[in-house]
Amino acid sequence: MSELINENISIEKTSLFDFHNKNNAKIVPFGGYYLPINYSSGIIAEHNHTRLKASIFDGSHMGQIEIKGPFIMEALEKILPISFSKLAPGKIKYTQLLNHEGKIIDDLMIHKTTDENSVWLVVNAACKQKDINHLRDNLNEKFNINLRNDLSLIALQGPKSEKILLDLIPEIKGMEFMSSNWFRYSNYEILISRCGYTGEDGFEISIPNKKVVTFTEKLLKNSDVKLAGLGARDSLRLEAGLCLYGHDIDIEKNPIEAGLKWSICKDRVDKEDFIGGQAIAVEYKKGPQKNLLGFLPKGRAPAREGTLIYDANNKLIGEVTSGGFSPSLGVPISMGYIISSFSNKKEVFLDIRGKKIPADIIKLPFVPHNYFKRKK
Amino acid sequence: MTDIFYTKDHEWIKVNGDEGVVGITSYASEQLGDIVFVELPEKGNSFNQGKDVAVIESVKAASEIYSPASGEIFETNSSLEEKPEIINEDPLDSGWLYKIIIKNKDELKNLMSEEEYKKLIGV
Repeated sequence: MSELINENISIEKTSLFDFHNKNNAKIVPFGGYYLPINYSSGIIAEHNHTRLKASIFDGSHMGQIEIKGPFIMEALEKILPISFSKLAPGKIKYTQLLNHEGKIIDDLMIHKTTDENSVWLVVNAACKQKDINHLRDNLNEKFNINLRNDLSLIALQGPKSEKILLDLIPEIKGMEFMSSNWFRYSNYEILISRCGYTGEDGFEISIPNKKVVTFTEKLLKNSDVKLAGLGARDSLRLEAGLCLYGHDIDIEKNPIEAGLKWSICKDRVDKEDFIGGQAIAVEYKKGPQKNLLGFLPKGRAPAREGTLIYDANNKLIGEVTSGGFSPSLGVPISMGYIISSFSNKKEVFLDIRGKKIPADIIKLPFVPHNYFKRKK
Repeated sequence: MTDIFYTKDHEWIKVNGDEGVVGITSYASEQLGDIVFVELPEKGNSFNQGKDVAVIESVKAASEIYSPASGEIFETNSSLEEKPEIINEDPLDSGWLYKIIIKNKDELKNLMSEEEYKKLIGV
């Protein structure tokens, strides 16, 4: 039995593994996969290049799940706090899988495709199996749940992304933010989604495993594109105030306290007709007991995950869930939860190795989002 | 005459008489990546060999620095406060961390020579 368990937690390689090594990546295990933390130029250079031009990230560890069957959207609405009828075909929505207590099992992107009998989900690597189990338990067995291990996922992120991708696939021009579509390239199909995890404009590209290296090399021919790893991905998403599952959100937290109220459909909360609906309705009305906020510590010491947060009277009021150095701002930044009654205060104190460092409270994000807006 | 010794944790100490200058190796600086903050010890404080004496924070994580020798700190590299990236640029010279009065030079026998250290990191 123990051997079986070991096999289950064995670390996998993405189809870009050899490609990463060839490009001098420093490889680390993450979410069950060997992935680059950075390439030779380093995290700060990769971060800055993404904000300035564009970078390619390997996101193949993420779970790409296709669910098919008649009336799939109606069935998923009994699970998720969103309204498919308000979503146009081809649009993407950020949402969460919740348990009956309204706590977060995983956060994900869901695509309403042009095929009304099919939806597409992109979920966190480490949550794949529990997500599928949760869906399986709550969907009629007539629905086909297919984890698309045949596809890789790369993200092209940064202000020059559209210009770069246009050279390969001209049809993507002017695609709306948070929309997706299948495109034919060469002799195969790829799914392109205008979204990402950096706060910048960009695309996520689902592509057959056998084609991903060639496609990535083609993108890299443009001198504005460089490779970036998990390190830059983390500093970019932190600056953008985007939650990382397992850190800022998890099975102990609900979406209201995590500042994700915007992602929940108000009508659905009124009806309480999704999994966790009753708990969310209560939280929605009375307000959360704690809030996820941003902190700017004075000085240069980063306040990392687990740093305790105090008020001016030395009362423990919360904890940092993500923290590090912001290459764009040149200062340390942190995100964490504090008791709601302290949310409107200006300042808290972060315990960094026994020293209480004052920090300004700010509303997220730290760096404004730079998403694509279609010109009217 | 200056001697240089290394620890298995990738610190170096340059010894001149009773004084030592401490820093981290090029190998360590490359492994850490971009360094964004250094917490240095207070002047006048004493540390034992192998005791955590400073903290180097890279973008990725915080790393403890262990003192290669016992003794009293008499100077710290204040230019690292504003420019911690000096350690990445020049770890063996201008990226030094602190200077120490070595209490017991016999302890240096516990450290590695340049040749032994190179073997450790495989170069």
